[in-house]
Amino acid sequence: MTARTRQTLPPGFLLPVRDGETDEFYLNLGPQHPSTHGALRVVVRLDGETIREVVPRLGYIHRGIEYQAERDNVLQFVHFADRFDYLTALQNEHAVCLAAEKALGIGVPERGEWIRVVADELTRISSHLIFLGSFGTDLGGTTTFLYAFKMREAVTQLFDELCGARLTTNFLRPGGCARDLPEGFVQKTRAALETVKRGMDEWDVFLSGNVIFQERTRGVGILPADRAVALGCSGPVLRGSGVEFDLRKKEPYSLYSKFDFDVPVGSVGDCWDRYAVRVEEIRQSARILEQALDDVPEGPWRSKEKVSWRLDEGSWWSEVETAKGILGVQLESQGKSDKPWRIKVRSPSFSNLMALDEMCRGQKVADLVAILGSIDPVIPEVDR
Amino acid sequence: MGLMENVPKVLDPLPGGSRLADAVDYVVNWARSRSIWPLTFGTSCCAIEMMAASMARYDISRFGSEVFRASPRQADLFIVAGTIVEKMAEPLVRLYEQMPGPKWVIAMGSCTISGGPFYYDNYSVVKGVDRLIPVDVFVPGCPPRPEALLNGLVLLQEKIRKETLRNPRRPGEPLSAPAEDRWARAKEAWEELERIKDEQMAEARAKFAAEHPDYKPPKPPRAEKPAFPEVAREPAPHAGWNARAVADAVHARFPELKLFRLGDVAPEVLEARPADWIPSFEVPSGKLLEVARWLKDGELKMDFPLLLTSVDRLDRFELVAQLMNSSTSARVELRVPVEKIFPEGGSYAAGEKNQKYGATAPSLVPVWPGMGWHEREIYDLMGIRFEGNPDMRRIFLEEDFPGHPLRKDFDMPGRAIPRHA
Ligand code: SF4
Repeated sequence: MTARTRQTLPPGFLLPVRDGETDEFYLNLGPQHPSTHGALRVVVRLDGETIREVVPRLGYIHRGIEYQAERDNVLQFVHFADRFDYLTALQNEHAVCLAAEKALGIGVPERGEWIRVVADELTRISSHLIFLGSFGTDLGGTTTFLYAFKMREAVTQLFDELCGARLTTNFLRPGGCARDLPEGFVQKTRAALETVKRGMDEWDVFLSGNVIFQERTRGVGILPADRAVALGCSGPVLRGSGVEFDLRKKEPYSLYSKFDFDVPVGSVGDCWDRYAVRVEEIRQSARILEQALDDVPEGPWRSKEKVSWRLDEGSWWSEVETAKGILGVQLESQGKSDKPWRIKVRSPSFSNLMALDEMCRGQKVADLVAILGSIDPVIPEVDR
Repeated sequence: MGLMENVPKVLDPLPGGSRLADAVDYVVNWARSRSIWPLTFGTSCCAIEMMAASMARYDISRFGSEVFRASPRQADLFIVAGTIVEKMAEPLVRLYEQMPGPKWVIAMGSCTISGGPFYYDNYSVVKGVDRLIPVDVFVPGCPPRPEALLNGLVLLQEKIRKETLRNPRRPGEPLSAPAEDRWARAKEAWEELERIKDEQMAEARAKFAAEHPDYKPPKPPRAEKPAFPEVAREPAPHAGWNARAVADAVHARFPELKLFRLGDVAPEVLEARPADWIPSFEVPSGKLLEVARWLKDGELKMDFPLLLTSVDRLDRFELVAQLMNSSTSARVELRVPVEKIFPEGGSYAAGEKNQKYGATAPSLVPVWPGMGWHEREIYDLMGIRFEGNPDMRRIFLEEDFPGHPLRKDFDMPGRAIPRHA
């Protein structure tokens, strides 16, 4: 509360200074803070305990991947996709592969598509489980982390068998995937699904049904549907606000049009809705997986490898519904080279985080962590 | 710390005192190595594996390290998990300096060891966290599995047990420590070993050839390579909307707009488009706001700002905006050429590095508030100013970062190490 802050606002703050005596002051959170999910820094403008404005300061994990991508060919870009949002590694790879397939006219055999769908949905489950764990922890219950990780380990184990890595999988390729299913994968997936489903029933009792948890999330951080759309939010943040938008239904890619599943939506757009949408999505993913496991297509898991990755002149856009929202890849080429001229990744967390300011205004500072947690941003994906 | 350091000084002169000092050493190290409290610090992917290591399956608490502290003042182990970029370097050093001694550092993952996947062609990643703070144990992997981190912890415990009060470890002054080229040294040592090995192999081969003059090596069996079919790509048609109808609607309202790369809007051009085509129009930047307003409020109701980015086409910039209707998912793409303005009236010189020019474009924030950060990103990485954006600052890089890295003429020797030089 120095004289300086009264007269000139720090960069980024846009609301005008109020006349007369106010209790306004600024609070810094991060970049190293256990509930900022990585290296996010936010500066909060407070009036007493009430938030007036929140300004995220990004760039503490800006790794310049897009610059690097212009210097390698498309195939070499696949493993960078893992590192945007490492919780949805396989879905990011899917988007990159779709773009490369569009650019080079590569098709995918049915078994390849099947493996992709299974990998995508397992990824969704594991990403949402991390959300559940960290959201509970943000609100003060460390136990949730332990339970969520226990369930997630069952899924991670499957990734480990599928591609030899637990997190940064580097598994999909333009034209299919790198390897065939390991032996016994279907049975093991069924077992893992059982673990997750049982765990989720337990979850409903000990977290969703918890009165304190509900008190801290219901009616907190409301984002109306029209604002969510105008800000470009996607994924559970958008659906939590009541907009039924899921690319798997709206622009079905891969085999999604074959499966029967529901798109859960919220009604109010508060933290609880965003939480509940994700809980339901885990169940829906399990439903998709169960349908998939009943009917495993035989045959090759990838199409013939390309000898050359040379791109013609053109622009291609591909998109995937990841656990966080719409992840798009814009690929530009000037021709005569296997290196793309420009790759832009439209990351869902980047747009979702833009809504933080709006959700927080007028709330108490203690709710900031709950709201931030309910967006579920992954900062390396915001910064890229 | 002060008191402990004096223990040997007091005890050593006494008869049998040095034994006692050794015993104190032993007890102190035993206690320290078995209750290392790590700092909660993770910037990216590796942090998830660090968390996994502390969860039920891997259970780091078996080694006395489960008490993750959120404050550096209560921690004595700094597990640097995740990439460190230049902007993070300063907070990182400050965190380290805030930790009370004795303190240790584990560098987890290839990023913290050398920059890892971001070593080459990268302008922002610090190429090894040991350039900033002294590191005790390196744990390689991308990310290292939790077992590897546990192994690193055990190694650290061993190291701690070898410390002694007679020669206490002093936390170094990180920034003044000279950067040592361990890579070159390791490479030399490796090459020397390779040379010796080659010599020995050549000797052994010569000896074998002399002893068995008519030996023929057996043919190694070849692994069978699976043959994959060639599959043609089938573009999936849009489920809820018709690209032709959208293109026609835009054409009816703005007949002067041309399709990007295709020219005039003509039925035969539209017919030849693949099923997953997204209508893409070239819009002059003076007309952008008018087109944008109509797209949002007109019949197409493109209310969702999906994408805004820019491409450096050498002689000009090109903005790429993709808008969506949030109920039908109908899309339209706009391509806006933006001129590069040279202050001294020059023009783009091919091949010349770090040229001085600017560019401006109208901001789309009044139409779609969600474009705000996208515009800031473009300004940061390509240097196009958006007129009308209320908050035109750099978004990722420091305010004083020289240049805009995604411009094709950006060059900064010493910062980015080119892989294909
Ligand atoms: S070492 Fe690999 S996994 Fe770890 S932070 Fe770096 S890129 Fe991510």
